[in-house]
Amino acid sequence: MSNEKRGAFGAETAAQAKARAIEEAAANLMKNASSVAARPVNPVASSLAGLAAAADQTATTAKKSAKDALREAKTVSKTVSSAADDLLDFDDDDPLSATSVSKKSLVIFFLIDTSRSMVGKKIGELNTVMEELIPEIRRVGEADTDVKVAVLTFGTQVRWMYTEPILIEDFEWSRLRADGVTNMGEAFRELSARMSRNSFLNSPSLSFAPVIFLMTDGYPSDDYKEALEELKQNSWYKYGLKAALGIGNEANDEMLEEFTGSKDTVVHAYSGGQLAQMIKIIAVTSAQIGSKSMTLSDDVNHELSPEEVRAAKQRLLGQQIQDSMTNLGDADAISFDTGW
Amino acid sequence: MVELSIGQEVEMEYGGKAEVLGVIGGGGQGTVYLVRYNGMKWALKWYDIDKMKNPKSFRKNIQNNISDGPPSNKFLWPKYLTKETPDGTFGYLMELKPESFDSFVDILNTYKLSVNPLTGRSTKTPVRFTSLYAMVTAVINIVNAFRQLHRAGKSYQDLNDGGFFINMDTGAVLVCDCDNIAPDGNNFGIGGKPGYMAPEVVRGIAKPNVQTDKYSLAVVLFKLLFRGDPMEGEKVVRDVCLTESSELKHYGQNAVFIYDPDNASNRPVRGIHDNVIKFWRIYPDYVKEAFIHSFTLGISDPNKRIIENEWQKIFIRLRSEIIQCSCGRTNFCSMFKQPDSKSFKCPQCGTIFDTLKFSNRKNRMPLYVGSVFYTCEIDPDSEDFQTIAGELVENRLKPGVLGFKNLSDKTWSVKMPDGDFYDIPPGKGFPVWQGLIINFGDVTASL
Repeated sequence: MSNEKRGAFGAETAAQAKARAIEEAAANLMKNASSVAARPVNPVASSLAGLAAAADQTATTAKKSAKDALREAKTVSKTVSSAADDLLDFDDDDPLSATSVSKKSLVIFFLIDTSRSMVGKKIGELNTVMEELIPEIRRVGEADTDVKVAVLTFGTQVRWMYTEPILIEDFEWSRLRADGVTNMGEAFRELSARMSRNSFLNSPSLSFAPVIFLMTDGYPSDDYKEALEELKQNSWYKYGLKAALGIGNEANDEMLEEFTGSKDTVVHAYSGGQLAQMIKIIAVTSAQIGSKSMTLSDDVNHELSPEEVRAAKQRLLGQQIQDSMTNLGDADAISFDTGW
Repeated sequence: MVELSIGQEVEMEYGGKAEVLGVIGGGGQGTVYLVRYNGMKWALKWYDIDKMKNPKSFRKNIQNNISDGPPSNKFLWPKYLTKETPDGTFGYLMELKPESFDSFVDILNTYKLSVNPLTGRSTKTPVRFTSLYAMVTAVINIVNAFRQLHRAGKSYQDLNDGGFFINMDTGAVLVCDCDNIAPDGNNFGIGGKPGYMAPEVVRGIAKPNVQTDKYSLAVVLFKLLFRGDPMEGEKVVRDVCLTESSELKHYGQNAVFIYDPDNASNRPVRGIHDNVIKFWRIYPDYVKEAFIHSFTLGISDPNKRIIENEWQKIFIRLRSEIIQCSCGRTNFCSMFKQPDSKSFKCPQCGTIFDTLKFSNRKNRMPLYVGSVFYTCEIDPDSEDFQTIAGELVENRLKPGVLGFKNLSDKTWSVKMPDGDFYDIPPGKGFPVWQGLIINFGDVTASL
């Protein structure tokens, strides 16, 4: 019986073997059961119980024989390899089959204000530019870095677009809707909680410090100060590249400066055209700088100290953002705050 | 920065206009556009002069490079300068990279991304050398390109993974981004990456030059063969976050090679650096020793770095030690068994390979149908590592009988089974037998 039950290609899979063993055990049990049919027990029930026991036993036997096989394999491999190093688990020695070089990871955090005042042109423009932006920064990591994106929105509720940072190659923008108040402080707390090795920054390999890009059109409704102080204690935040974009006249540049830690990395958009251009400039520049090793310039004439290079990337970001802003044309002159 | 728009025309230095057709890519110093000039398509590198320290001298240097011409055809060299716009912005034209070449970045990634322009979705296509020959040939070509450049008295300055294109079928190499190339000792304000730049440049105590190029070259070769970073091991990973100061430390003052025999503090980490762990096992000792030398002694003493000619010899030898077994196993002979000093045995199928001994080197060349040797291997005066001089073939009339075919342009003197030497002119062949001796002139080979 067992022979017909074998796989189409002759070889018997482990699952088939087990099924066959159980079937045979069941057949034997049925035989036994019928021979003791005189007993006042339900033959079906006893056969079922027996079946279960047989199945258990088969499993144990299978495990045991697997263990034996493993032990045997180990002995064999030990005798085969006189080098007997611990690298034997690489059975692949093809010099051409490589995996990608080990990459660093960079998470770009977008903190986006989705309060009621963003409704209409602002959120519309923002959604459109973000959709267009994602494909543009896809190749920014090159061979060094896996770039991931995480989007945190804050209105009345503070919410992540996805439950974890998504690799930029797979990221799809889901359009945001604006409603409610500006709970920025809560957003800072949420960000600080997630910027941890146990949470969003859990790459087993090296990471670059994250890019944190804040966009808002107003003043926080909640008490953000304390939350910002807490955030500033987070090491990832300390080393991170921070930039902020104020949208319209209500956005408070001083507050944004407090967030980024420098004036250079705060910009202000007064129109839809500016908003689109600025988001792109900041996101692309910060992704470029953040995903690479620091750029060295050869005009140094002395041994660099760690203090000198500290926050070099943040300074470079500020410089490049400011350079780009001076060349920015006023694409459309109608201000966000007029014509509503 | 002044961006160009599609359809815009850019005036060229010596007349004519280049019409912008599209964007090819962006870089640290500017943007590369696809343009049409004189009826042909070219790549236009258009600078962001705001990011340059001295655009005038940079332009002058490109002008000099154009008039000097490329050191060889392995370079995508600047061809024509544009006129300067009123604010001083300029660019230059170079030839387009042929379709059949892949960027070093994609090679290290093992795939390339193509983005559907309509949906923005991306698909991955694998990028992989189609043969071991092609890979080792690519390495020889890279080394040779830098040898030619350095012999022309110039240095590349910011060698990194963006600097090459490779044909994955043939191993042909094109060096791009040649605009920073300058006479050795000159610098025009180049930015570089710590992982590729020599430790003394990272530290700020030296400027890029031919010696620092040699360090960067070793990094590029290491990355291509071992598919990992030579300085990134346990010591670096322990930092978790790679800040500017940790880069300064791990690639500058305290750079430690992952396989430094005298310092085990920075070994590769299983699960992160699996490529390096695997490949370090595969390559023969003389290759590994060259990298150990480069990344231990060569870290602190630029004069101890391996010169291009040495690398070239090492990889020409490595190419001659590839065995393609008929069972499908292709590897270096160090990964085959060696039953005696004159033969190799395939660990997979047991096939035995005889070897040929050349009088000008110690290592023996394994023989199988298709194995070849090159002009530089039989002529001490030749540097031609690309022209095949001899190939092992099967006799067309007597199946199963193997022999060498003379593909060189010289006549060889060969000892035949009757014990006499015969002249074998170009195009002719002779059987391989136990007493075979080939006299190439200055070099002889025997079984």
